[in-house]
Amino acid sequence: MRWPGQTAQSLALLEGTPVNCLLLERERWQPELLDAAAKRGLATLAVVRPGFDGAVPGAFAGVVLEGDFAPAEVAKYRDSGRPVIELVSRYRLRFDGVSSVAGTWQGVWPGIQLEEEGSTKSAPSGAPWINTNTGFLRFAKAASKGVVWIGVRPPEKNTFRVERYLQAIGDAAMSGARWVVALDADFEKRLLGGDDRARKDWERMARHLRFYEEHREWRGLDPYGLLALVEDTPGALLSGGILDMIAVKHTPVRPMPTRRLQGGALRGAQMAVNVNPETLSAEQQEALRTFARSGGTLLTGPPGWKFPAVPDGQITLADEAVKTLDTIWKELNSMTGRRNLGVRLFNVASMLSNLTATADGKTLYLHLVNYSDYPVDSVTAHVLGRWTKAKLYTPEGPPKDLEIYPVDEGTGIDIPALTAVGVIRID
Amino acid sequence: MTRRELLALGAAVPILKAAPAPAAPVSIVRCRTYTNDELLASMKTLFDQLGGLPRLVRNKTVTVKLNLTGSPALKFQGRALGVTHYSHPNMVAAFAHLAHEAGARRVRFVESAWGTAGPLEEYMLDSGWNVRRLSAVAPNIEYENTNALGKGKRYSRLKTAGGGYIYPVIDFNHSYEDTDCFVSMAKLKNHATCGITLAMKNCFGNTPASIYGDDAGVDAPNESPTSGRVNTCHLGKRQPAKSSPGELDPTSSREPGYRMPRITVDVVSARPIDLSIIDGIETVTGGEGPWIKGLKHVTPHVLLAGTNMVCTDAVGTAVMGYDPRAARGVKPFIDCDNMLTLAEARGLGTADLARIEVAGLPIAEARYAFP
Repeated sequence: MRWPGQTAQSLALLEGTPVNCLLLERERWQPELLDAAAKRGLATLAVVRPGFDGAVPGAFAGVVLEGDFAPAEVAKYRDSGRPVIELVSRYRLRFDGVSSVAGTWQGVWPGIQLEEEGSTKSAPSGAPWINTNTGFLRFAKAASKGVVWIGVRPPEKNTFRVERYLQAIGDAAMSGARWVVALDADFEKRLLGGDDRARKDWERMARHLRFYEEHREWRGLDPYGLLALVEDTPGALLSGGILDMIAVKHTPVRPMPTRRLQGGALRGAQMAVNVNPETLSAEQQEALRTFARSGGTLLTGPPGWKFPAVPDGQITLADEAVKTLDTIWKELNSMTGRRNLGVRLFNVASMLSNLTATADGKTLYLHLVNYSDYPVDSVTAHVLGRWTKAKLYTPEGPPKDLEIYPVDEGTGIDIPALTAVGVIRID
Repeated sequence: MTRRELLALGAAVPILKAAPAPAAPVSIVRCRTYTNDELLASMKTLFDQLGGLPRLVRNKTVTVKLNLTGSPALKFQGRALGVTHYSHPNMVAAFAHLAHEAGARRVRFVESAWGTAGPLEEYMLDSGWNVRRLSAVAPNIEYENTNALGKGKRYSRLKTAGGGYIYPVIDFNHSYEDTDCFVSMAKLKNHATCGITLAMKNCFGNTPASIYGDDAGVDAPNESPTSGRVNTCHLGKRQPAKSSPGELDPTSSREPGYRMPRITVDVVSARPIDLSIIDGIETVTGGEGPWIKGLKHVTPHVLLAGTNMVCTDAVGTAVMGYDPRAARGVKPFIDCDNMLTLAEARGLGTADLARIEVAGLPIAEARYAFP
């Protein structure tokens, strides 16, 4: 968490929470704070930005390099012997396993996009658009096969209801990643000043953080579904790309980084979308041909099309790229139609979901995050195949058994109500 | 007698006046919640005041046009769709139960679901309805999305009254013809274009988007429609699929306030409503759905029903605090022609409150002032 407090006493706010690692900006590098944190068993990480040429106090457990550092600079910090975590811009992410954490400071602030006047951005026809990092995070998770952090901060000069923080926690967690908790300035001030409302909101956030920490095994599960999306950098690093477009439809999809596309990588998939055909190696192309020969349906991007270069600092799609992707999107839509590719969800317009499975495929986990400020009643899931048990996990209470029933596609599950997040275990 | 002779007779003998538009009683009850017990009791009283539901539905196929307007993804202030601009699922279930008790052979719920020709049951699930529970309320409950051909083999072509205002005939999904009793289950709410959305305006949605939608085929119906009817109906920028006769006069006004009331009257004259039910327990003012700015959630706590659609809507309009015979330019018909008087002129029913018997709660007590 990006800790806002400067005093040792402020750390009392962390009692009973699962927060165990604090990122401290330079103005908080006070010895007494570091000492108090150590006594509480909290790991402290010094946040260093490009251009800093001072020394990081020895009391820190590690260093976070936030921003884009020259390789020599990074090496210098690594050579110091302390753990180093890099929070780079998305386009500097390497997924090469050198870092224990694939981390970025860049992200969209999760939530339903509002129009200028503050109303929900929508047309008579459609669902509200949800700003999310999940498409990028799911790709990053699949590409890195390791720990993924996203250090997006709430936009400056804004205050947010606690629901937006719960959404930020869920947005990362349902993708198997972790959000580096950060509060808006007003929330920080009120929390540190002892404001009751702020403390209650913080407790609610802590409950959500604990919920995901108590089920940290969920982070290691693989995406599940009959549809695979073959793509790679730079397009997959954007938010609002094809993976997010699919996610809005709640179609289960397995991100398949091109770099991991080898024989057998698409096992279990029935459909695959190859977004960037021009960039594939001969071996990768052969893997796709094998998939198609074995009966898989393959949809490829427009001939000769390459994902346009993305201007530095941009993490959402440019209008031109949206238009091009729209071609693929329409074809994909007609290919998937109303088919059940793992699960079909109903009454989830304000939600995003992610379907994952254990390695043996005997247990599914359906993650749901509600991005509206209101609870959602009566969500229905039609899960492909016959399943015998379903249990709902939420931060608000003990797990609840859900009634299941047969439907044409397999198994129906009714979820009576969902406040912010929920995970359904399906056996 | 030929048509020419008839017209000549009409011109020559002005003393032969048209029969007055029919009148029928309208029932009003107070109902404060959508809880099953209160709904069942209130709706039973509502229908009893009209002479009972059995006389209307016994041994009949009853088709109920719901109001599920706009995408179910669009909720107003996070509220359940049924307490704002959609039919409420508990009310739908209560009607199915009462119709079964009254001897209905089957009850078929229909709606032209927004932007899809997929199963209506899935659209209902997307609306947060428990379709399994609804289906268990009574035997022989059916569902049909009437946005396209659906389960039928052909479209039903029905003639509009008096030759029609805009269309001489309307092509419908078969459900609107294959029924013995047609029910419009509407909400008591405004409409941005037509001033009021009651039982008649609800039936604008009877038109299949496959033919009358903006992405309807040019020549033949598009059986996978994905859009609304704004360009074809509201604005008249295009004609329906050529499989259906187009407009009587493509040079007529393209103004939505002229077209939409007339198209609505054409639709309900082609497929008249046998029983109009208007839900004003909880609803919205200021428009028909959340895409209209200035919407407000309100609780008039009333239910209305009647066997004449014009009379029922006229009383509904009065309950909203408006004059049902108001001229264009007067609320609620600020920018549109009055569909009630247009319907009255076609002989579909009277909008004259003095001729309509109100059973149960008087209008003055039921009145809830809409803006």
